[in-house]
Amino acid sequence: MAQETKPAGSLDDAFAALKTYDWGSDIRALDPIDKAIESAQGKAAEWKPLENRLAPVLKAGVPRAAKEFVCRKLALIGSAQSVPVLASLLNDEELGHMARYALERIPGPEADKALRDALPKATGKNRIGIINSIGVRRDAAGAARLAAQLSDQDAEVAAAAAIALGEVGSPEAAKALEGYRKRAPKEFRNVAADASLACAERLLRRGRKDEALAIFRELGAEGQPAHIKSAAKRALSEATHA
Amino acid sequence: MVSSTGEGLSRRQLFERTAATVAAPLVLQSAILGRSGAVAPSGRINLGFIGLGTLGPIHLRAFLSSAAVQVLAVCDVDRKRRETAKAAVETAYAEARSKDQYRGCSEYNDFRELLARDDIDAVVITVGDRWNAVIAAMAAKAGKDMYCEKPVSLTIKEARAMANTVRRYHRVFQTGLQQRSEPQFRKAIELIHDGRLGALKMVYANLPGTCGDVNLKPEPVPEGLDWDLWLGQAPWRPYNSRFHPYGASKGVTPWAFCRDFSGGQLTNGSVHNFDIVQWGVGADGSGPVEIIPPGVNGAKCLTFKYANGVPVQVVDWKLDPKIHEIPEGWTDVDHKWSQKEGTDFCVVFVGEKGWIHVGRMGFLKAYPQEILADWNYVRKRPVGDVTTGHHRNWIQSVRSRQRPIAHEDIGAGSTIVSHLGNIAYWTGRALHWDPVKEEFEGDEEANRMCSRAMRAPWTI
Repeated sequence: MAQETKPAGSLDDAFAALKTYDWGSDIRALDPIDKAIESAQGKAAEWKPLENRLAPVLKAGVPRAAKEFVCRKLALIGSAQSVPVLASLLNDEELGHMARYALERIPGPEADKALRDALPKATGKNRIGIINSIGVRRDAAGAARLAAQLSDQDAEVAAAAAIALGEVGSPEAAKALEGYRKRAPKEFRNVAADASLACAERLLRRGRKDEALAIFRELGAEGQPAHIKSAAKRALSEATHA
Repeated sequence: MVSSTGEGLSRRQLFERTAATVAAPLVLQSAILGRSGAVAPSGRINLGFIGLGTLGPIHLRAFLSSAAVQVLAVCDVDRKRRETAKAAVETAYAEARSKDQYRGCSEYNDFRELLARDDIDAVVITVGDRWNAVIAAMAAKAGKDMYCEKPVSLTIKEARAMANTVRRYHRVFQTGLQQRSEPQFRKAIELIHDGRLGALKMVYANLPGTCGDVNLKPEPVPEGLDWDLWLGQAPWRPYNSRFHPYGASKGVTPWAFCRDFSGGQLTNGSVHNFDIVQWGVGADGSGPVEIIPPGVNGAKCLTFKYANGVPVQVVDWKLDPKIHEIPEGWTDVDHKWSQKEGTDFCVVFVGEKGWIHVGRMGFLKAYPQEILADWNYVRKRPVGDVTTGHHRNWIQSVRSRQRPIAHEDIGAGSTIVSHLGNIAYWTGRALHWDPVKEEFEGDEEANRMCSRAMRAPWTI
């Protein structure tokens, strides 16, 4: 039986090229993958066959550049199905960021849970990155995990958690930040206050006016740095008269 | 403190420094504010410059000619660039320094060290798409006012987050969309808003073009370049001199062809014209509702549609009868404008009663000509004169605490229009945009393009 020949530039060719794709390789060899995504016309069901071929590459012995290419595509078409393999890379020194690059944009509770679950084991910048991503996704269920980070011995981790809680903007986040404001080291009090202002703004948008006003009142009181006090007073006035 | 090691500050150092910085406005108030709370006429605004590629030095030269400001520090991850800038500052202030009226210009590799200085009132940010929003938000939290080059962000979400942070602290933010301060653009908008064209039917705005993914061969990182800090939020990749030629900048934005760092032509150049479109069609604070890439739904060029029905077609330096409907009275069919001939194409507003064509270097033309009435402006001032125009508007705003003409929401809104155009290019689909929710309607892939996960520790 004659061997089937693939036309140049086929999707199969592109996946073959991916196996040796490294820094400086010709990116045009991967164009068919992009074209396949584009031709799926945004229909998630048509992304599935592509996702089925892309996700396993992350476990294969291929260069970093190839895996990063895959993460970029999964950021656009990845689903819950890709979450486990991406989650396995969250604390990878080289690929941790690109795993988040994909995971942060995959909708659904699976990606939220993966980020939450990865947090306790993650270290260094990957840990801070995961905290940041939980904040970006405004994962209310992540508030407890983030709140636990506020007591971390690494003050940088605690500060990142405060910022993320501000983004989450839930009552639970507000309560955690209230405690952090009172015990934060001096050099982080303004981070705590800024996160609280962001949290209050978000509460206000969600119709939780009383909780938001309470935060603005506290931060607008004497004893706060001038710019925090000023911002809080202004926010209090605007919210009160809205 | 000057860092030349290439190592960034730790987050701990950052927050310690930021904590020390936040009291800066109080300190400065006692130094430069008059009793009314406005800056006393004699009070100079102390500036720091972040980013000294091509646009940074242009702004630096302009501000060095102004007695209203004093440059205290410069910052760039390229040692040669910051050393060149420092030398330019100290040369400009040599006389003052000889009289002990100036202490010298500090140079920094890491912008966080510059932001931590409590004697710097405001910063000029000209770093590029990948950095502008992140630095601007951190500057706002540190109590600084900002002149920030366009585009203000790498993504739609970043633009909005930055604007929200600036507004939270009521910082004075001027976007480098200087066409808003050019007399001919102001006149054009005034005439349009006064109804001299009647209802708008069509707008043409220069210039199409996007960017894509690239994969260049690794090269050794030049000594004196902090490549990790250059990358910032962007995914790590090996250095290549096409992204950043060490030392003297080549081209305004040499990295703009790479999607990790930029939105290409639409965010770096065309954003100026989209900004004028937003202003002209009355969409400041809002935006288009539909974006159609070329080749889709009969569109022959990138097209934006606004809620009031006005279509905006993106043109390639000229009106082409094969692509565009040539308005009555248009005598420049197939004439291709160029910067070399002294103006850009910029924007044409076509209304029921005629059209207005506005460009740079004082260019303003209309049909019928009577629309312009008594307009006889001839540009006389040299480029970069901060005694007039956009820089002056910012300086006055820093003193008065009023919002300047291209404030943070203007900058974010016009940058977002550019991002929308790119996402239409990248998806190859007509997109429906909700400018209030800032979401695409029914297009998950497009919505996923509204943000990108930043490399830690960066966030906004």
